[in-house]
Amino acid sequence: MHKTRQIAIILSDTLQSIGLQSLLTDYFPPVEVCWFPTFDAFNAADCNDTFDYYFTSSETLVMNGDFFLPRRSKTIVLIDGAEGDGGISTTNHITVKASQEIIIEQLQQLLANDNSGNLSGDTNKDLSTRETDVLQLIVKGITNKEIADKLSISLNTVLTHRKNITAKLGIKTVSGLTFYAIMNGIISGDDIEL
Amino acid sequence: MPLVYPNMQMSEVVEEHPSLIPVINRFGIRLGLGDKSVKTICDEYQLDTDFLLTVINTFLNEEYFPERKLQTFHTSQIIDYLTKTNQYYLRYQLPNIERHLTSFISMSTPGNNTLNLIGKFFSSFKEELTARIEKDDKVWFPYCQALSEKINGCQASDETGVLQLSGEQRLEDPIEALLSDLKGIMVKHLSGDYNENLCYAVIFGISSLEKDIKQHNRIRYRILTPMVSAMEKLCK
Repeated sequence: MHKTRQIAIILSDTLQSIGLQSLLTDYFPPVEVCWFPTFDAFNAADCNDTFDYYFTSSETLVMNGDFFLPRRSKTIVLIDGAEGDGGISTTNHITVKASQEIIIEQLQQLLANDNSGNLSGDTNKDLSTRETDVLQLIVKGITNKEIADKLSISLNTVLTHRKNITAKLGIKTVSGLTFYAIMNGIISGDDIEL
Repeated sequence: MPLVYPNMQMSEVVEEHPSLIPVINRFGIRLGLGDKSVKTICDEYQLDTDFLLTVINTFLNEEYFPERKLQTFHTSQIIDYLTKTNQYYLRYQLPNIERHLTSFISMSTPGNNTLNLIGKFFSSFKEELTARIEKDDKVWFPYCQALSEKINGCQASDETGVLQLSGEQRLEDPIEALLSDLKGIMVKHLSGDYNENLCYAVIFGISSLEKDIKQHNRIRYRILTPMVSAMEKLCK
């Protein structure tokens, strides 16, 4: 599951902002884009630090270095040139006069940088021992309360386990969980009826 | 996706979106559409153009759901449409999936236990959906219908039936959850030897049923249910 990217566009050029916004929504969903014509408007919105990326112009960047420099890795500057121009490769940038294909490639590279969150989410899909215990009981059709009693844990803990199991496996229904449990040898098919 | 309008040629719309064919069939419209516009066809079949278009447009656009507009239609129109979708599931979509699933299981390597499990999973889904439809036909829809007739009787014309609808949040629908699990499990956990072509046919069938039921549920939970609870309040 992808996390929705929160994006702030701080640009005075309306058409440029609309264009950027539509590229982002078309090619890189899910995104949530907020547009601010000026840095003041952005500041006034009072949600500065909730964004994953900031798109802005080099002027705005220079004028508000105090804000952008500490967030350099999240800031992307629109520079006035085609591909290869500019040469200020220390900042993340896209070149507004390049072809659409190249701009999309540039965005792809910039947005691909932050897979840190995704990767750690992917590695831990296996159920813990406790979760496996809970799963075994769920598919036998036992109620949450009885599961709590059997495992000597609180009802809340059972609910948390259930939530985590569903999140890890992406399976919501008892029938689905039963299938998963049989397939993975967590229970034997003879134990239960589907 | 651009919306469909009354002056558009129906055949062009359907060519572009063949998934609409079962939807217009539900309204009694059959193929052989010629060059007629949506409006002309609706007039010929004596259908409410506005209602047909709203259904078509919500069906095509996941994001488009004009709640206020839908709530202005008559309860009986909504119930009638939901009943027809139910019949379509029972008569066509479920048997279609079942037919493919049966050959999928028998044509794939015998003794592939996974497939038998999928078969069982589907049967339990089918039971659940059939039970819901039966309840709709016998209890829920007649109740909604009766309530709406009662309202019409006791309400004077000056009150234009502005129902106070509560923005009720719907819970996760078990039917939708089962379908999405069924599809997810086949995609993720299928193992052993199996017939690829039939497998795709099954997943395709499940997926289009899922899409249809999502639309049905949106109308059911976000239009009909709030309409009914508003009518219940009005009747007290």
